[in-house]
Amino acid sequence: MNIRFIKSNEKRKILESLNDQFGISELPYLLISTGNERIRAFSGSLSKEEIEELGKIARVELIGTYFLKEEGLYRLSFDSPLLIKDEIKKNIVEINDEQFHDWIRGFDIQIEAPQGVVVIRYNGDFIGCGKSNGKTIYNYVPKDRRLKK
Amino acid sequence: MKPEMKPAFRERMEKLLTEKKDFEAFEKIIHIPPRNYVRCNTLKISEKELFERLSKKWTVEQPFPEHPEIMLIQNELQPGELGNAIEHVLGYYYIQEVCSMMSVIALKPEPGEFVLDLCASPGSKTTQIAAGMQGSGTLIANDVRMDRIAILAANLERCGVTNSIVTRNDGVQLAEKFGRNNIKFDKILLDAPCSGEGTLRSSARTFQMWNPKVLKSFSRMQKKLLACSLKALKAGGTLVYSTCTHAPEEDEEVVDFALKNFPVELEEVKLPLKTRPGITSWDEKTFSPEVKKCHRIYPQDNDSEGFFVARLRLKEEVK
Repeated sequence: MNIRFIKSNEKRKILESLNDQFGISELPYLLISTGNERIRAFSGSLSKEEIEELGKIARVELIGTYFLKEEGLYRLSFDSPLLIKDEIKKNIVEINDEQFHDWIRGFDIQIEAPQGVVVIRYNGDFIGCGKSNGKTIYNYVPKDRRLKK
Repeated sequence: MKPEMKPAFRERMEKLLTEKKDFEAFEKIIHIPPRNYVRCNTLKISEKELFERLSKKWTVEQPFPEHPEIMLIQNELQPGELGNAIEHVLGYYYIQEVCSMMSVIALKPEPGEFVLDLCASPGSKTTQIAAGMQGSGTLIANDVRMDRIAILAANLERCGVTNSIVTRNDGVQLAEKFGRNNIKFDKILLDAPCSGEGTLRSSARTFQMWNPKVLKSFSRMQKKLLACSLKALKAGGTLVYSTCTHAPEEDEEVVDFALKNFPVELEEVKLPLKTRPGITSWDEKTFSPEVKKCHRIYPQDNDSEGFFVARLRLKEEVK
């Protein structure tokens, strides 16, 4: 696995951006870059050195969970808002039943929202992130997490 | 057409279930689909909150007061209905047969521990271990095939598991390497590949696929996996050995092999299902009387599938 442990000064910058975007003030994870601008979060007890040692004797495929992607702005993964739900305070868009019906099936939704990356909330559940141009939120629900009918 | 037990399988099951009524109950239940159990993923939602949510759409029971995470959906469901619910999509529950939850209940993973799940895919037990660890400690989840790793990874992601490291290695070789490099675990789950006799209710294919020749080859592989796993366990550490088969060659014989060749002891475990003690002889072989501490789970006893669980404690480190 091609990985790079994110150093503390870089993590600080990511956290500052996430604070600007979503109000996130704490990320209790070791952050790992895996290429394609994707960053994974690991909360386990092994240190970087121990993980590197592990990599010498085992074929490591994945560490922790996919957390966010850098696309100019940071876009949180489908699951990460559910892991840090109390931390997310800004750029939350509440959707109604009809919008939820479309969103969770993979469709873009028409709704006025702040431009940029927004977190979608329905009935108290975070259901992923989308990119808003102010009038439309473009859908990023992964295919394997969409409702089928 | 209703699938039938192959004659050799029937004969073996009649030897295991000596009372006629017991065998008849087994024969009847294996043709009925299993009930719908889900396990609350406490990494994302509390049992109380999930129970309230699911109760709005289905008739839900929490049959075991000591394990409120286990929920039984009483309704007749459409195919795919459980998997296509928003609570499933969000990772609030895992669809898992109740007897397969017993291995992790026996393992009792705790926050902060270093745990190995050697044959982890598809991840039902891995995510259950992760829930017990509550995001701290480290969980190494291994499987050998890339397609199985992909399923495991998707389930870990959906359940919000952040303390896992997924590896792709042959289980015997990996455990051997851990032992050689002095990487020792607090707990190991060895849910071994097996002939799957316990899965007849959910997989009718098992009726056709069952073959007496594979039992011995599975048994040999399971002994190898267990022997190597013990080398990767800390002194005082716990290893849970489980299968979803009734075949004594793959169950008590494997545990007996460990008892006779390694400094291990079997521990008593309290499980929330009706279980029967391990058997002490089979096919002219006699096992240690200790194997009575193993748990046999028959489908007719709990309206579940079939399973086998044993918890071993390593008394001193194996070099």
